Amino acid sequence: MTNTLPGTARDTRRAAPQRPPRVGIRARRRGTTVIHRTLLTLVMIYFLAPFVWMLLYSVLPAHDLQQHNPDVKLSDLTFKTYRRLLTDSSFLHPMANSAIVAVATTLICMALGSCAAYVVARYRFRGRQPLLLAMMATQAIPAIVLAVPLFILLRTFGLYDTRQGLVITYVAFILPLVIWMMVGFFEDIPPSLDEAARVDGCNRWQILIRIAMPLAVTGLAATSIFAFITAWSDFFLAKILTADNSETLPVKTASFQGLFALDYNSAATAGVITTLPVLVLTMVAQKWIVRGLTEGAVKG
Amino acid sequence: MVTITSPGPATARRVRSARERADRRFSVALVLPAVVAVAVLFAYPLGYAVYLSLHRWNDKISPQHPYTGVHNYTDLARDPDFHAALTRTAYFSVITVLVGVGLALGIAILLSQQFRGRGIARVLLLVPWAVPPVVNGIMWHVIFDGSTGILNALLRGAGLISKNKQWLGTPHAAMNSLIFAEMWKLLPFLALLLIAALQGVPRDLYEAARVDGANAWKQFQHITVPNIRGALMFALIVQTMWSIKVFDTIYVLTGGSGGPAGGTTTINFFAYLTNFSYLDRGYGAAIAVVIMLLVIATTIFWLLLLGRPGRWRRKARGA
Repeated sequence: MTNTLPGTARDTRRAAPQRPPRVGIRARRRGTTVIHRTLLTLVMIYFLAPFVWMLLYSVLPAHDLQQHNPDVKLSDLTFKTYRRLLTDSSFLHPMANSAIVAVATTLICMALGSCAAYVVARYRFRGRQPLLLAMMATQAIPAIVLAVPLFILLRTFGLYDTRQGLVITYVAFILPLVIWMMVGFFEDIPPSLDEAARVDGCNRWQILIRIAMPLAVTGLAATSIFAFITAWSDFFLAKILTADNSETLPVKTASFQGLFALDYNSAATAGVITTLPVLVLTMVAQKWIVRGLTEGAVKG
Repeated sequence: MVTITSPGPATARRVRSARERADRRFSVALVLPAVVAVAVLFAYPLGYAVYLSLHRWNDKISPQHPYTGVHNYTDLARDPDFHAALTRTAYFSVITVLVGVGLALGIAILLSQQFRGRGIARVLLLVPWAVPPVVNGIMWHVIFDGSTGILNALLRGAGLISKNKQWLGTPHAAMNSLIFAEMWKLLPFLALLLIAALQGVPRDLYEAARVDGANAWKQFQHITVPNIRGALMFALIVQTMWSIKVFDTIYVLTGGSGGPAGGTTTINFFAYLTNFSYLDRGYGAAIAVVIMLLVIATTIFWLLLLGRPGRWRRKARGA
């Protein structure tokens, strides 16, 4: 797998632009197609196989897969690791923590962020450009810089190892992203609709609630999902700011993987459970997610 | 603080100023909560981090926190562990950024061709993106395992190795395994970014180039690259930031140690260990501040190298 990848980039670049179907180069074109198919297959295997392998680890006994020649026996298929984890309170507790923290973070970020983003997209005011730049600049600040002070502050206020403390921290990191994404979505709505509503006698709040928000609903959904995924997947901040009480799922999942721990069945199962909500949301909203992710970059 | 120029046509001055005032009230009411939240949650801890870095603050040694000026920073400049971590970060970042963006461009071009199932292929690309970093670490730990991992089994089966290799066993092997694992997770995002950019390149440019007799490489060089320059720059900047900040995968792949023998301890991991294993908050804060400066410096480096700043948004819309 390692060796095929560098070739992938090189060969596809050369084969990049499609040639028109002209007589005489058909054979060559077929050759290009074969190369393209092969590379494509290799790339897809590369991206999917590791995940499928972990999936197998979660439903097959480890000794089937850890032999000299791994043996995938469908007759051995079992969900007992899932059953064990999903009935174990020391696993369910972090799971509930993760869900509560991620949902709360998403709601707060969306409430504050979409309102702010609407104003930034629609109104011209002094400090607008610096505000946008500041939101972007927050992304350059590594979490470790804030983690230490936040750790000390949360401890001082008795919020260390609480869900509230974690939500506050996530809001700090995710709110700027939400504002940034939502400004893009609001800017895509023609301002003439606002004007029309204004002429019809709507005040600013009515325009925001009845016109702008409904029109931006796909953007709101995409941004919410993005905020949820970011909060749900975080490990670094949760590792630092929580202990037994408010431990989240990624932290719990990582704990299955001690330096010498070899319970790969549990680790893989916990991994699949942690991934599943993100994967489902991503698949449901794939169009919007791709748009939301690539928007900023493609526009500039 | 906030002054509004109303977007609508203004007739009488008096009406306009009343409307302006209402606009102002409205914008302040909506923007202020978010701005205050970010300012408090970001600016305050940021200032506090700088403050910490100027003090001796070690929870293991003493409850006293005397002011020491730039002492932590001068210590850092002489610390061989920090230098080693910096070198590892440079190695990790250069490879993940350059090879990562290069491969992503290849994958993006591959997935931009016309073929049946293209939509599905692009959706499946989101699978690695959706896998949380911690899970990515677990996944590769299972694969890399020196005695039971599938990687050794596959390579043995293909006759490429005769006996099992310890992929996470030596500092150098562990670093390269880490890069390999991290690549799996970062490539899809970069590829999706570049696919979106490639879609914006006008097809007729390629037609014209073909008429002029330009070969595929020339077309790539003179049409593809210049037209997706913005996205390429964005990809380089974002990936550089992430590479410098890498943490989760290291933690899981090495059981929280950054080993073996510190072989995967990049600066971010070094800062983590200093802060939360050695409880040296002052020194740890200094490392964190240096990481931040490094991220900013590399971003400026890319901006100066590849384009002008300040034209991030709306350029491609022609606005």
